[in-house]
Amino acid sequence: MPGLIILAILAIAAVFFSLSRARALNVSGGQLSNLHSRPFYHGLYSLLWVAIIGLGVFLTVLFLGSNLINMLLLGEAREAFPDGSTIEYQLLMNDARAIASGGIPSRVDTLREALAGKYATLENIYAMSLLILPAAAALLTGAVTLRQVDVNWRARNRAERVIRFILLGAAVIAVLTTIGIVLSLIFETLNFFNNIGWRVDKYLFGTRWSPLSGVHDGSMDADKVGAIPLFAGTFLITIIAMLVAVPVGLFAAIYLSDYASPKVRAWAKPMLEILAGVPTVVYGFFAAITVAPFIRRTGESLGLSVASESALAAGVVMGIMIIPFISSLSDDVINAVPQSLRDGSYGLGATKAETIRQVVLPAALPGIVSAVLLGISRAVGETMIVVMAAGQGANLTLNPLEAVTTVTVQIVMLITGDTEASTAAGPAFTLGFTLFCITLVLNVIALRVVRKYRELYD
Amino acid sequence: MTNMRMTEQDLGVRENKIEARGVDVFYADTHAIKAVDVDILDNTVTSFIGPSGCGKSTFLRCLNRMNDTIPICRVTGDIRMDGNDIYDRSIDPVQLRARVGMVFQKPNPFPKSIYDNVAYGPRIHGLVRDKAELDEVVEKSLRKASIWEEAKDRLDQPGTGLSGGQQQRLCIARAIATAPEVLLMDEPCSALDPIATAKIEELIDDLRTSFSVVIVTHSMQQAARVSQKTAFFHLGNLVEYGDTQKIFTNPEDQRTQDYITGRFG
Repeated sequence: MPGLIILAILAIAAVFFSLSRARALNVSGGQLSNLHSRPFYHGLYSLLWVAIIGLGVFLTVLFLGSNLINMLLLGEAREAFPDGSTIEYQLLMNDARAIASGGIPSRVDTLREALAGKYATLENIYAMSLLILPAAAALLTGAVTLRQVDVNWRARNRAERVIRFILLGAAVIAVLTTIGIVLSLIFETLNFFNNIGWRVDKYLFGTRWSPLSGVHDGSMDADKVGAIPLFAGTFLITIIAMLVAVPVGLFAAIYLSDYASPKVRAWAKPMLEILAGVPTVVYGFFAAITVAPFIRRTGESLGLSVASESALAAGVVMGIMIIPFISSLSDDVINAVPQSLRDGSYGLGATKAETIRQVVLPAALPGIVSAVLLGISRAVGETMIVVMAAGQGANLTLNPLEAVTTVTVQIVMLITGDTEASTAAGPAFTLGFTLFCITLVLNVIALRVVRKYRELYD
Repeated sequence: MTNMRMTEQDLGVRENKIEARGVDVFYADTHAIKAVDVDILDNTVTSFIGPSGCGKSTFLRCLNRMNDTIPICRVTGDIRMDGNDIYDRSIDPVQLRARVGMVFQKPNPFPKSIYDNVAYGPRIHGLVRDKAELDEVVEKSLRKASIWEEAKDRLDQPGTGLSGGQQQRLCIARAIATAPEVLLMDEPCSALDPIATAKIEELIDDLRTSFSVVIVTHSMQQAARVSQKTAFFHLGNLVEYGDTQKIFTNPEDQRTQDYITGRFG
């Protein structure tokens, strides 16, 4: 139904496009140069306004309408049944709605019947206005814009201004969404801190993470929300991943850009990029089923005790996942180093290796640094691999052969666990917010580093 | 000025530094250089002139095997330096390039400090034993390239921060620091203004006392000003080669005559 209404509005807009264009042609008297704006722009101007007003009214009615119905019914309910709790009113409304739409209410009584009748009437009015109001608004707008068509009417400038505002709107939506996410993270975080009695120090520096054990009434034990083991695990796995990804990725990029023949490059580069397209779930079970047992067997044959879910297995596989990001980005920046610099170095009798080490890599350094930092942010935020291969117990250790857990794993466990969402959301949002802050700091440092070297190397 | 130089040239007996015989160059299927014979004399400035695309830069790049870095390029024929075939399998192009330095059309200082730019060659070739010696080589090279006065207070600043003319002189200093025997210059002044060009031409004349210099140029005035020998290339052929004065005053070939009088090119 809403889809049809949107289609109808767009159809009206299209109709007014051709009407306005035809009218513009008509008033020009066959002489197009008389017009300030080409007929297309007159049509476009009508189309844009009809679509904007029509869709705007439609969305307004859609969102305001159901709220308005709820408010009216709630007022009715309060009058008939003055002092109930919020939950009771909610139940009442749900029942009324169920009766009206032929569902199964929890209970049927006179108040509910009355509300249901009222609800049905309001719902009818709402459905009608949802149909009529947007169409009427669109038609009215179309008529107004059609009347405005004139030889001197500056339709092009106006249409372009409308388009500019549409673009601005898109940008604003993106920015506002970001701000909204950050704000909701902050509020949930503050709420959580309030729950643990503002013992932020216990959260930041505590070493015991078990936030939901023994939680019944929503308040948490500040002694059980120490996030240190999670962050230690995250960083241990990240370090292992980068130890794998940075050398392999960088060397692969150097090989591809400076040593590989065009033929080898032509198939090797796409192959590496396919590696980037493998879903992380696949890496995850690869880590859990193949790599972890392999590391465990190897460790045991060397006389080491290795946990079946080890930081090493998760880190190595995560490193492999990150290789294509580092190699692909580094390959691009290394290729972007001008050939003239290489020629200059060869012309002085430098070998290929000397040229790469002393001229090409320093010139490409800012790009390589940002590639590595991008890799780190991916490693810190990666979830699937660690969920499957890293373990779940919050275990504070630097031994890569033991199981550790990460921030992302704990968030997954909190949200997918069987504790009520509103209770579990507190620690989950707080972890997410902390992770966000860390990534932000990393990015700021990265930008600083890149800018510093750019001054030197451009 | 020209007269003075000619007498100067007549004083010393010069030996062939590089002898090229029957050199052909192919880019994939394109025949870029056709059977070129040239002798480059020691302590002499030789200029290569000719219209764009005539192969003068390609031939210059044969002399230090820079064409090796282009995969589709193939060089045949015989190029000897001090009697040794530089395309012999026993010759390492890296060592050859240390002896035959090159300055490019566009200034290409490395993204390093001015000091490190000049010290690059001496460092990779192990020409110096300690820091003091390196300092000395750097200063000497910068002085020879007549950029010492401008650069001495900012040796630790990036070479890319200099102006275009200064950058090109820095690149020349960088090439000199490796102590080459031959210096190849591929249109070294094409990106520079007349003042910087004059400085570099002066410099080329000074360099002649230490090395043999080969310069590719589009400016016939420049060729006449700085060189003692001139080679005229056209469509991959070496049309005429001889004393600069003779080429510019009394050329033997009609095509040379047409080019230097501006009838084509």
